[in-house]
Amino acid sequence: MTIPLEQVDLDADARVSPPWQTVVWNDPVNLMTYVTHVFREYFGYSPDRAESLMLAVHHVGHAVVAEGAREQMELHVQAMHDYGLWATVRQGDG
Amino acid sequence: MTPRIVVLELAQLEAAHLSDLLVQFADLIRASAPEAPLEDPAVARLVPDAYRDDPEAASEFRGLTQADLLDRRRADAETVLASLQQDGVTLRPHELHESSALEAMTVRLDPGQTAAWLRTLTALRLVLAARLGIAQEDDRDPEDPRFGVYDWLGFRLEGLLQAMED
Repeated sequence: MTIPLEQVDLDADARVSPPWQTVVWNDPVNLMTYVTHVFREYFGYSPDRAESLMLAVHHVGHAVVAEGAREQMELHVQAMHDYGLWATVRQGDG
Repeated sequence: MTPRIVVLELAQLEAAHLSDLLVQFADLIRASAPEAPLEDPAVARLVPDAYRDDPEAASEFRGLTQADLLDRRRADAETVLASLQQDGVTLRPHELHESSALEAMTVRLDPGQTAAWLRTLTALRLVLAARLGIAQEDDRDPEDPRFGVYDWLGFRLEGLLQAMED
């Protein structure tokens, strides 16, 4: 089986650089129920996962809600801003 | 499958005051420069920096997304405003008859309108919170009636989320 060159490059790239992250930050305005709703609706997370991410945002101050390619994380952050959540993109620690 | 309809009941006076807020909000958004960094911290909160430690990347992201996001806020506000009209007329607090002000009106929202309501109530709270200097969840000044408006928006948002779950 031949593996297309592009795919090899992508895999190698994924190994050397840690994935990017979508981080949602706590703010004093957004309701806990609303944040959970957004995580369920947008990311399609289960009620339990959405709630535990919301609680992490609330108690820890922020939570990584998604990881992957930078462009994808930027789309997520734009979507979070559209919902009124405070979100940022950052590179993971690896 | 028929789309899920959320039914909301509110007094005409509430609808009139919310309509007033929405008109002010849409004006505020319209007056903002679509691509430049925003001077008004209340509007800026609607389009936060996407990168904390990389001003260049944050600025590039802003250039690509800010105008669209602000446009969506204005369009959402107009959707909510339209859903509050009675016989095609936007209610105004000072135009309401005393007898009808507390009468309930029923608003029926399809999924698209419901989503616009959620985003708009949230955006109004974010803008008000910036104006009121709310830095902690329980920051309140009992002398300032705007906190009452802020809490009312939260109450309605919570109610809408609850209605979607039912």
